Amino acid sequence: MKGHAPSEQDSIDKWEVQLRKGCLELAILAALWEGKLYGLEILRRLESDSDLIVSEGTVYPLLSRLKVLGLVRSEWVESDAGHPRKYYALTAAGKHRSREMAAMWSRFSSSMSRLLAPLTKEK
Amino acid sequence: MPDNAQQKIEAYLGRLRQLLRGMNSEDANEIVEELRSHLAEKAAANGQITAAGVDAALTLLGTPEELATQYTTDALLARAEVSRSPLRILESLFRWASLSVAGFLVLLTSIVGYFLGGALMLCAVLKTIHPQSGGLWAFPNGADTEFSLRLGFGTPPPGGRDLLGWWIVPVGLIVGCGLVILTTRLALWCFRQYRQSLVLPRR
Repeated sequence: MKGHAPSEQDSIDKWEVQLRKGCLELAILAALWEGKLYGLEILRRLESDSDLIVSEGTVYPLLSRLKVLGLVRSEWVESDAGHPRKYYALTAAGKHRSREMAAMWSRFSSSMSRLLAPLTKEK
Repeated sequence: MPDNAQQKIEAYLGRLRQLLRGMNSEDANEIVEELRSHLAEKAAANGQITAAGVDAALTLLGTPEELATQYTTDALLARAEVSRSPLRILESLFRWASLSVAGFLVLLTSIVGYFLGGALMLCAVLKTIHPQSGGLWAFPNGADTEFSLRLGFGTPPPGGRDLLGWWIVPVGLIVGCGLVILTTRLALWCFRQYRQSLVLPRR
């Protein structure tokens, strides 16, 4: 904790956490777009393809939530590693939802970029 | 050290399983198995599980308490959103109440909301069976006036006045139904706010 204005840093951190969490659902659905993956693969995909710093403890509960909502389905597959892995795949509803969310996201992000352009220009 | 490492994993998963006991056991077991599989792979370096690897993997997952709270609220919220029946909502709220004070307050509010809504609808229906004594009544109680939603059992109190008459049927049904819907919306909204507020362990 820095001596000056810890509360400001705190509220920026919180805002960032909320921002990441808001995107996480779409990020997971997007990771599954090209085919089934198991939990750790999803985590690795999120790490390598994005700078969404994701806490692992968040992704697994979110996956089971997406399953209850019918957006993904899961199956256990035996592996060479000696333990079975739980694979997730998008359902038809999940694909539909991902497309919708992606379109919404694109619109949203381009209007935000336009709006933020003056703030992010180099000094 | 693999034995020690294995013990750590089992202790962690055992604690998590214990915390998930409110869920149906098939779901809880599946969660534990999935995390066991995750830890086995995450904690292994060159195919061998090491104690340091286990420690690191467990830290990244968060404590069993944090994980259980997320699983429970996520599952409850998803199920409540899918069904939206007051019984399902109340069931979820009961579990939420066991997790946090906020949940307890929302549970109390929801019980009042559902109870009042249900009583209004019941009163509207029973008015058709007990036209003389059912309905919303006002009667004197000392210097005050007391209001009472009567289902029509027994005789109305002396000096009482039926305020709405037959209007209780449409009013009771509409207001009661609206109250139930409003309570459901409010409970789900609060639940979502709570889920958003769960702060996660950061790396």
